[in-house]
Amino acid sequence: MNRAAFAEFAGRFAESWVAVASLVVTVLFLACALFAPWLSPTNPYDLARLQLIDALKPMGSPQVKPGEEIRANFALTQGQLIPEANATDFEVEACGANCFIVGLADSSAPLMSLQLRGLARDAIVDGASKHPIQPWWTLNAPENNQGKVSFETAPADARVEAIARTDNQPTGFIFQLGSDAFGRDMLSAILYGIRISVFVGVAAAGSAMLFGTGLGLLAAWRGGATDAMIMRAVDFTLSFPAILVGLAILAILGSGVEKVILAVVLVQWCYYARTARSLALSELNKEYIEAARGMRLPAWRIMLRHVLPNCLPQIIVLFTLNIASAISLESSLSFLGVGLPLTQPSLGMLIANGYEYIFSQKYWISFGPGIVLLIMIVAMNLLGDRLRDLNNPRFES
Amino acid sequence: MQVVQTVFQADEVSRVFEPARGTIEKLTDRLTGKRPAIVQAVDRVSLSVAQGETLGIVGESGCGKSTLARMITGILPVSGGTRRFRNEDYDSFLARRRDALKVQMVFQDPMSSLNGRLKVGEIIGEGAVVHGIVPRSRMREHAAKMLERVGLAADSIDRYPHQFSGGQRQRIGIARALAVEPELLVCDEAVAALDVSVQAQIINLLMDIRQESGLSMIFISHDLGLIRHLCDRVAVMYLGRVVELAKTSELFANPVHPYTQMLLAGMPRISTERRTFMPIKGEIPSPLNPPSGCHFHPRCDRATDHCRISRPDLREKVPGHLHACLNA
Ligand SMILES: Nc1ncnc2c1ncn2[C@@H]1O[C@H](COP(=O)(O)OP(=O)(O)O)[C@@H](O)[C@H]1O
Ligand code: SF4
Ligand SMILES: [Mg+2]
Repeated sequence: MNRAAFAEFAGRFAESWVAVASLVVTVLFLACALFAPWLSPTNPYDLARLQLIDALKPMGSPQVKPGEEIRANFALTQGQLIPEANATDFEVEACGANCFIVGLADSSAPLMSLQLRGLARDAIVDGASKHPIQPWWTLNAPENNQGKVSFETAPADARVEAIARTDNQPTGFIFQLGSDAFGRDMLSAILYGIRISVFVGVAAAGSAMLFGTGLGLLAAWRGGATDAMIMRAVDFTLSFPAILVGLAILAILGSGVEKVILAVVLVQWCYYARTARSLALSELNKEYIEAARGMRLPAWRIMLRHVLPNCLPQIIVLFTLNIASAISLESSLSFLGVGLPLTQPSLGMLIANGYEYIFSQKYWISFGPGIVLLIMIVAMNLLGDRLRDLNNPRFES
Repeated sequence: MQVVQTVFQADEVSRVFEPARGTIEKLTDRLTGKRPAIVQAVDRVSLSVAQGETLGIVGESGCGKSTLARMITGILPVSGGTRRFRNEDYDSFLARRRDALKVQMVFQDPMSSLNGRLKVGEIIGEGAVVHGIVPRSRMREHAAKMLERVGLAADSIDRYPHQFSGGQRQRIGIARALAVEPELLVCDEAVAALDVSVQAQIINLLMDIRQESGLSMIFISHDLGLIRHLCDRVAVMYLGRVVELAKTSELFANPVHPYTQMLLAGMPRISTERRTFMPIKGEIPSPLNPPSGCHFHPRCDRATDHCRISRPDLREKVPGHLHACLNA
């Protein structure tokens, strides 16, 4: 298409704001798919980043870092509490006879708890609760991160352990769309899910286009028995629902990206074959084809250089419509658990993952991917419809 | 009479079209014993073109002119009869693809005869490049030369067909044919779709080309004035058959066949008027179900019972003047 024709086409396309909006949305989704690793706030598949504490957080929750433990040992000798080598963070102060104040040197970040272990049973730790059996005293949210230990009589020698637990700290990261059962950020998971869904959808619809168009052209060119066989195969394929074909293929072959692509090709090739055949037949009747025959051009050249480019606009329209249906087929199969492997979590699998939590009000795990999938498919369909309308001769001025 | 070499010769060539039938229809046809309706588009036509000669073919729409033209150029196979190019069997001629370029065609429809997806340079140069007449690197140059030869600007090579008018597009079609150095050019109603003023320009171009290169031509038209102006000999066709074949001057002076006579009677004298067929009495019969015997008998005022039964063969009235009428 040359520039003037393209400008005219673009002008007619822009007459419908719905079409423009759907184009914008589709382009945004394609950008998400291409740039997901750079756009997404976290890498949802970096297992090292996942922590159980983040699991099933609703939308907008902050991520927290679990508290840390600082352990230190002390030797209680002759009424003195002497820090050992690992107790550099701690400070011991005497407060009279048989009395110590033990604590963290740094009191700026308040501790969640301070536990002292190994004291004699007659120890008095102010404000602490003692473990029912073990000689452990626990101070919750100790003032100044310190605890006061005193004894009625001079204590026997012992080895004392102090365990300071810091509180959970917000990391500053917000789960904008909540998190799933593994503590994965749903926003990141959705961006990666779009990437996987779009890539698989485009690859599958593209393979179907190549295969189906090729067979359609072959049918148109050869005619006769070849044509009849290909077209009966088209009728046969069309008589099965897409999801059934997909389920059957994946049930036999197992899941996997290339198997999903194969399933989509087997479902969709017939639309391309039928369209390409009928377009090619009408092109083959035109005089420019007779001119090409008169030039004694080889048949493959006539089909590929003369017939195919004239069929291409409508085939591309079909392609845009079929990407959407390839994505939805893949999502359906993945939702049913037979589509992509667990290592390739597409939108359909994300929806499936959240499905079991929907009834416990944890709707966001399925909701986000579901809405995104819906918007993407609607936008691609509207875009394809508009392109088809523009390609329809009835709309031509 | 001087001996001239025959470039192309057709011997009783025929072409039937069968309606496309699916497997199921074929089966039911066979079971019910029904024969599918066939169209005998061209029925045992014999003609020849000599070196440098222009043969005219004239006839009403649907009489098989285009089908004959496509068989002559090898675009369509024949259902029967033989074709020869310079006395060589046509199939072996066509098998030598590069030599088979020597017969080229100019088409009727200036719109659909050019591939709208290709640039003009590619349209004109493709055949020559594919067959190695010019290397790909010189395709543009070659196409530009051809464009100049047909009176278009050389820089048209980078434009698309839709950017040209009908007459210009027809020139592009002629340039495409000339680009592979043909020896026989078949023009199938090459000007019928154009305005009268543009028609004249294209006709003049064809005459110039013929004069420059000594090309043989088959000029197909339903316009008797053009045929008379351009052709050395004329074949008149009616429903797939040649009914009269003679030198132009002879045919226009002494038409023998009643159909030719009616055609000429309907031809306006004043040449400025648009010259097309005047309606001849009676309907044009359907080629699906042509009249028996002489196809022309339902419209012929000289028809006898004999005409309804037997098919008139081409016979010579005076040397070089053939006709197919039983009562002439
Ligand atoms: N491809 C085809 N299939 C079936 N019938 C055809 C085909 N081409 C031509 N015909 C029929 O053959 C007859 C002659 O057509 P044509 O050669 O185009 O005539 P003309 O060029 O003189 O108008 C017509 O009746 C037409 O319907
Ligand atoms: S053969 Fe008979 S019907 Fe045919 S043209 Fe001659 S007179 Fe007329
Ligand atoms: Mg015609």
